[in-house]
Amino acid sequence: MSNPSGGDADEQSFAGLVNDLTGGPWRSGGRRKRSVKSSATPPPAAVDQQGPAQQQTSVAAGTFEWSQPAPAASVVRPYTWTGGRTAPVIDLAVETLVSTSEHGHDVAVLTSEEHRAVAELCRDPRSVAEVAALLSLPLGVIRVLLADMADIGLVVVHSSANGSSNTPDMALMERVLSGLRRL
Amino acid sequence: MDFVDSDRSRSYGGASAAVKPDPARSSPLAARPGADSRPSVISAKIVVGGGFGAGKTTFVGTVSEIAPLTTEAVLTDASTSVDDLAATPDKSTTTVAMDFGRLSLDAELILYLFGTPGQHRFWFMWDDLVRGAIGAVVLVDTRRLADCFAAVDFFEDRGLPYVVGVNCFDGVLSHSVEDVREALAIGSAVPIVPCDARERESTKNALIALVEHAMRKSVATPA
Repeated sequence: MSNPSGGDADEQSFAGLVNDLTGGPWRSGGRRKRSVKSSATPPPAAVDQQGPAQQQTSVAAGTFEWSQPAPAASVVRPYTWTGGRTAPVIDLAVETLVSTSEHGHDVAVLTSEEHRAVAELCRDPRSVAEVAALLSLPLGVIRVLLADMADIGLVVVHSSANGSSNTPDMALMERVLSGLRRL
Repeated sequence: MDFVDSDRSRSYGGASAAVKPDPARSSPLAARPGADSRPSVISAKIVVGGGFGAGKTTFVGTVSEIAPLTTEAVLTDASTSVDDLAATPDKSTTTVAMDFGRLSLDAELILYLFGTPGQHRFWFMWDDLVRGAIGAVVLVDTRRLADCFAAVDFFEDRGLPYVVGVNCFDGVLSHSVEDVREALAIGSAVPIVPCDARERESTKNALIALVEHAMRKSVATPA
């Protein structure tokens, strides 16, 4: 049962449920709706900030130090970010690298807070797992989010060295080996 | 059970094929090395397994260039039809944490080390982890040998190349390599290396042994 439409049904029921519960303007399966983060969390600063300038303060480059993952995001029920969807439209392994595209560097096209957060984070290539860890979001949520962003050209998914098979090719292993020996 | 992990490659393959063809838009899905102006950085993955307390997180932390990060997967990620979130929106989801580290091997190659979640009930994540991995280092604490059986069985079953790293505190192996091999009932082809997870050189050597083993195995059994 690898049928994407099954996921659509789930989305709609989930979105409908959220509508019922909140009376909110949730679009079923909406990808670029505004983040619920600003309304769901009790942020220390402005609640209704949606301007790029203010967004920058919460997603400033220095925020994402390795030692201190962003703490606030986990307050949000994660799958509301994804419109209730649990399966991404493209396959992303935990180690798959993503980086912000030229298009994604344009602040104007980043219409949601989570997209801005990811775009900021992925100026250098990051793995899917890193994005999840640094934004304190579950892997499944990040996969859906990144796949959406790749779909609309905000991030570039780096090609896998594995090709079609699920095992790394010899050339990659040789590079890893010589890299390890150089350490 | 639409998106259970074991079905992932198939089901996602179908999904991506469905959304892909759109030449009018410069699709990032079609990104290839050189298609973008940035260097084509690629990643590789090695899994670190072993029983609880065998030193997986220490191993990852010793060799990683960053402090090990922890990411969570929500259990419903793999069991959407079992744990129906839509029906129970207030259900607190079960999460499983997974430690990983990162190692830049050259300007365009990043190696990720993933520690396997210890509990057996999280095996659905192991499939996700081993997919595309070069191989695995199974850390063995000889005082609790049986703890690593699950990991050894799993990697054997999946055909993933692995080496066994036997803990040696202060450089002393408390059991001979052959004793460990016999106790674990693993074939003579599987390398067993002494490994102090706290020592960078030692963890590095374990990783080198693994990659060499994986390459030998790859040559012996071409895909």
